[in-house]
Amino acid sequence: MKTVIKTTNLSKVYTNTAVPVHALKNVDLSFQQGEFTAIVGPSGSGKTTFLNVIGGLDKPTEGHVIIDGTDIATMKESKLFDFRLRHIGFVFQAYNLIPVLTAMENVSFIMLLQKQPKKEMEQRAREMLEQVGLSDKLHARPSQLSGGQQQRVAVARALASKPDFVLADEPTANLDTESAFNLLDIMSRLNKEENITLIFSTHDQRVIDRARRVITLVDGAVDKDEQFDRN
Amino acid sequence: MKTLIKISWRNIWRNRSRTIVITTALVLGIMGGIFSAAMRLAAEEQQYEDTVANMISHIQVHHPEFIANPEAAFRIPDGHTVAGELSDRPDIRQVSARMVMDGMAASANMSTGVRIKGVDPRTEALTTGLEDLLVDGSYFSEDWRLPPVIIGQRLASELMVEVGSRIVLTFQDIHGEILSASFRIEGLFKVTSRRFEETTIYAGIDDINALTGDPVGITEIAIVIEDPDSYRAIAEDLRETYPHLEVRHWADLDPALHYALEVLDQLLIWLVGIIILGVSFGLLNTILMSILERVRELGVLLAIGMKRLKVFSMVVMETTMISLIGGLAGLGLSYVMIRILNVRGVHIPGAEGLEEFGFSPVLYPNVDLPFYFQIGLLVVVFAILASVYPAWKAIRLAPAEAVRAE
Repeated sequence: MKTVIKTTNLSKVYTNTAVPVHALKNVDLSFQQGEFTAIVGPSGSGKTTFLNVIGGLDKPTEGHVIIDGTDIATMKESKLFDFRLRHIGFVFQAYNLIPVLTAMENVSFIMLLQKQPKKEMEQRAREMLEQVGLSDKLHARPSQLSGGQQQRVAVARALASKPDFVLADEPTANLDTESAFNLLDIMSRLNKEENITLIFSTHDQRVIDRARRVITLVDGAVDKDEQFDRN
Repeated sequence: MKTLIKISWRNIWRNRSRTIVITTALVLGIMGGIFSAAMRLAAEEQQYEDTVANMISHIQVHHPEFIANPEAAFRIPDGHTVAGELSDRPDIRQVSARMVMDGMAASANMSTGVRIKGVDPRTEALTTGLEDLLVDGSYFSEDWRLPPVIIGQRLASELMVEVGSRIVLTFQDIHGEILSASFRIEGLFKVTSRRFEETTIYAGIDDINALTGDPVGITEIAIVIEDPDSYRAIAEDLRETYPHLEVRHWADLDPALHYALEVLDQLLIWLVGIIILGVSFGLLNTILMSILERVRELGVLLAIGMKRLKVFSMVVMETTMISLIGGLAGLGLSYVMIRILNVRGVHIPGAEGLEEFGFSPVLYPNVDLPFYFQIGLLVVVFAILASVYPAWKAIRLAPAEAVRAE
């Protein structure tokens, strides 16, 4: 299987605090194409920092993040913008849709930045919204959608441009049980159908129970890396 | 770009009331600026009409001694030759050669100090438009036994005389001898300046010169130039050409008026500057607030790969759109306002006292079309400048932190 992300000796130290904080310590991990991975651990264990660093939103203090043969740890900021746009999908805890755009426009937005042809873009956005069960909400604005629906739009947005992998930072944290299960079903299905690598940070046992791989971080270091058969 | 415009447009209407407030501020700012400018221009136009054009002209030439002693003794040497030379200059439109002196006017009831201006009726009409200033009587056309004069309406009231009345003028001849002669009032004129109207008498130059003893004597040459803005340069040139004569332009002749206009000019610059700065800071504040409210959203845009330049452009575009809406509405409303006020006039309360300085208490504001565009452009440029700081703040956001902002 193809390795999508490989981190070696990844460390991150925050020095703008009274005492330096070692958020990540020598993390060596690989993620294969199509994996459905949960990064778990207590608060402050480095989950979010890890996602930020492999998502190119933050720079590591040491180590490498190899994506598609490129080390993004040493990449210039201007190139990182383009890299994120073309290779990485993001799902955030608080949905973070663009409030002035409709569901269709939100899902199309990344493809638009990628300058994809309009027709294909619209077709793909429509298809993704159908896949997440929102074909009747194409022209609704985020304020007209429930939290669960907004997060489904966010998932559709992250997956629409067919990125190499999707990073989701506690995607179910703000959802009720039904919406959370619904979202997980959708993500699990898309993970298989589209063969997209999904990496979650989560506290949520419902997500952990669906993940085929669970990596536990403690104090910024990998404590456990477990594989599960969830078919 | 289309989507960027769409997002910017929708963003500015997210907080509708805030956008309406700042747009209204822009509209009022532009209306204030244009109104001030229109009033300033109206004052200038009216001042040229009433004071420079109708009373003192752009430039006057005298014998140097005449300024301190306005008497027939201080005539311009070869006055008619000088006047002829001046008439031939291409930068001079009109010349009026006058025999001017101070004297006394007496009616059966009253007497008062006056300035007597012996003029050629035809050239005087072309120089000061005296004929058009008449409010009663006729313009040197009646064939009376006594020589005719045209006097200010207020002077007529003071002397308690009317058209057809006889007055006696007392003045000095070229030798300094005092003489008196009777004249018949043929017409009454009215100008804005109260003082000018209370003290000025126009008579035929031939009638005056027949009494003073020099049939071709002149003490004053009033000049109307082609380009009103070049009065200083032409006056300077005339001083060099005629070093033996006293050449003064309207700002020398009426320094109070000149000072008042200078003050108005400065006030206008400050006023327009303060209005535009105030509106720009208001806009800056509005956009900054909207940026601070959208930190998480902007973080997401940066996180998913929208380039900083695009985020910057989006913020600038939002400001530009607000300034365009406010700018166009402000210019449109200003145009309507100025059109209406130009017809109805603006009465300045308590400005009657300014008539002493040649100002009318009623002004008719007017500005030409290019000025509207200049103000509009200025507002948009300042608005874009005002958006730079909020836009800079927006692109300095760290996406990893911004997406988690509360």
